[in-house]
Amino acid sequence: MSKLQLITKGILKENPTFVLVLGMCPTLGVTSSAINGMGMGVATMAVLILSNMAISLIKNFIPAKVRIPAFIVVIASFVTIIEMLMQAYVPSLYASLGVFIPLIVVNCVILGRAEAFASKNGVFDSALDGIGIGLGFTLSLTVVGAVREILGSGTIFGYTLVEDVMPLIFILAPGGFMVLGYLMVLFNKIAKR
Amino acid sequence: MVLVLFTITAVSAFLVALVNDLTKDTIEQKRQQTEDLAKLEVLPAYDGEVELIDTVRKISDFEVVVTTVKKSDGETLGYAVKAPSITRNGYADRITLMVGFVEQEDSTTLISGVKVLSQKETPGLGANMIKPDNKLEASIKRQPNPAKLVFKVKKDDASGSFDALTGSTISSRAYVNAVETAYAGYLWATGRLDLSKEAIESAPSGASAPSNKGAEDVAATGATTVEECGEELNSNVEPEAQKGELSNE
Repeated sequence: MSKLQLITKGILKENPTFVLVLGMCPTLGVTSSAINGMGMGVATMAVLILSNMAISLIKNFIPAKVRIPAFIVVIASFVTIIEMLMQAYVPSLYASLGVFIPLIVVNCVILGRAEAFASKNGVFDSALDGIGIGLGFTLSLTVVGAVREILGSGTIFGYTLVEDVMPLIFILAPGGFMVLGYLMVLFNKIAKR
Repeated sequence: MVLVLFTITAVSAFLVALVNDLTKDTIEQKRQQTEDLAKLEVLPAYDGEVELIDTVRKISDFEVVVTTVKKSDGETLGYAVKAPSITRNGYADRITLMVGFVEQEDSTTLISGVKVLSQKETPGLGANMIKPDNKLEASIKRQPNPAKLVFKVKKDDASGSFDALTGSTISSRAYVNAVETAYAGYLWATGRLDLSKEAIESAPSGASAPSNKGAEDVAATGATTVEECGEELNSNVEPEAQKGELSNE
């Protein structure tokens, strides 16, 4: 697999949201608007790249039986450290992304990639895998968020498109499931061609 | 195996502790900065030096900080009150607001601005309260005189003065409650409302466990005192003068 493929496969063939169907909790929770989806995606990508690299570095020392708790500890530490650093040095970014950061710990995309990729591959490849999957996650979340925002509040990235009162259900959880389901069908239909 | 896991957790804990130690002062400093900025943001714009005098009050065990903002000539620009929602939680956590109060020349008080200091509401729903000109803020702009505001969400009670954020009645209730708390704190700091420790402790389950009942008492006292003390508004009660007597802990 070429280096470029490592990145592109995360966007199409192994898209974490529409194909792997990982990390659904944060996906449904935060995609009430396009900017929120994007924020969550970018924050996840940062953690994913770092944790992938760290885990591929220490993979040889970890006995198979305790690998899951070990991965979780590494991921949770990264998330906490990133949260504190952001809060201290880029408070404006923290103000807009802060709510998503603790959610990243429980995102199974990150554990999934640690288990499926980083624990078997080198540091550089793991970083590329993190970038690819992270981009795929960001793009899917932005798309789901954009669709829900347009249908639910008639805006896109905060800009008003439709002045009418929109069906609020798309902002709420049931609408999230509906949008996600239909987008998944659409994505797989197009991707399989 | 145990040793490896122990080493990993120990190293991680050490790193987290290290970063926490390195960043906690900066975080606290930044938080203080935003809070100080918010104090001026909720008051009318004023060019020149201002003096900030903090008075801390406790309402049902929650801290309400009333900051008197004075112009360089000693005149009071207004009061910025930092208050949490006491009886109503938001969807996830308490909501803390900074509310600005300005005394008009005709001795009425107007709310000059509201800023959300902390909230953990759902992004896209309750979190819309941080957006400028949201429905809650618009409700206050429509009726900036807090003495005439009915601190209820219209959906709960038709007489309420507040439109709820779309799909976020719970968050809106908490917001309204925080504004009400701020108003009580302001009245207290300016000597128009007696919320001394005894008064709160005698209120049923007020001090130990904040309950609906305790704060409704506070609210009720607030409403009546406003009407009764309408004439006293001119007397320019200095909050610092009351400090020793009123502030506790």
